[in-house]
Amino acid sequence: MEMGLGQLAELSEGMSLPEFRKVVTQEHINLYAEASRDFNPIHIDEDFAKKTPLGGTIAHGMLILAYVSQMMSAAFGRSWLAEGKLTVRFKTPARPGDTITVSGRISKIEKSEGQTSIHCDVLCRNQNGESVITGETKVRIEKWK
Amino acid sequence: MPKEQKVEYSQLEAGYEFPPSSYKLDSSMVAMYLKAVEDTSSLYQDTELVPPMAVAAYAMAALSESISLPSGTIHVSQELEFIDTVSIKDTITSYAKVSRKQSRGKFHLLTIELNVFNQRQKAVLAGKTSFILPAYGEDT
Repeated sequence: MEMGLGQLAELSEGMSLPEFRKVVTQEHINLYAEASRDFNPIHIDEDFAKKTPLGGTIAHGMLILAYVSQMMSAAFGRSWLAEGKLTVRFKTPARPGDTITVSGRISKIEKSEGQTSIHCDVLCRNQNGESVITGETKVRIEKWK
Repeated sequence: MPKEQKVEYSQLEAGYEFPPSSYKLDSSMVAMYLKAVEDTSSLYQDTELVPPMAVAAYAMAALSESISLPSGTIHVSQELEFIDTVSIKDTITSYAKVSRKQSRGKFHLLTIELNVFNQRQKAVLAGKTSFILPAYGEDT
């Protein structure tokens, strides 16, 4: 198990996960469209998007959500890939040029026989402080060391 | 992934099951995904692991190829559970089912359950995705 936060036993409620920032670019949105085969014009066609109430292209919500998953896998390694769970709401679209700050905080640690469940509050916000994604995650880890 | 005819949103009802969609993963697909999301984690370097969000993205892609949603549709929430790791050698099959369709004024709320299995019929991912859509005739 990889533990970016250090040893599991050192984790505590209220602890912050390592925060990071990503700049959203149209290039990455286009790449994500290719990778996910989601070619909705609101994401990739600037002329189309300008004529909508959004006024321009926006990133796929799942692209920004991938950043949350990156934070979780950086913190909890392979356990996140096989025992992770998330529930999120998309609050505000992310646009090309936005800087997204991805953060999280351990809200609860549940220990039971042979395993530990770690609950986190997660947040993606843009450079204006607006919430882009809010939600909760949970990861189960087999052994408490 | 075979191209299926898209189902119009207005035809959907709770309980509707979309045709399952299978696809063989490969390293180039995963490399493109990792580049798009700028994920350089060692978890995926020189290993055969696939990021779980890539599996979710492929399941969502299969869904989007099966359903015709009106412009103005907003993806409002997402639940995902990663049940087992996925390898780039796996073939995954995605199942989608309408779990809820509700009218809320000028909008509809549509929730779709996703379940993804590998070639050994082992569940690897489950989730729910919810959209808000303009009511019929409100398409922009």
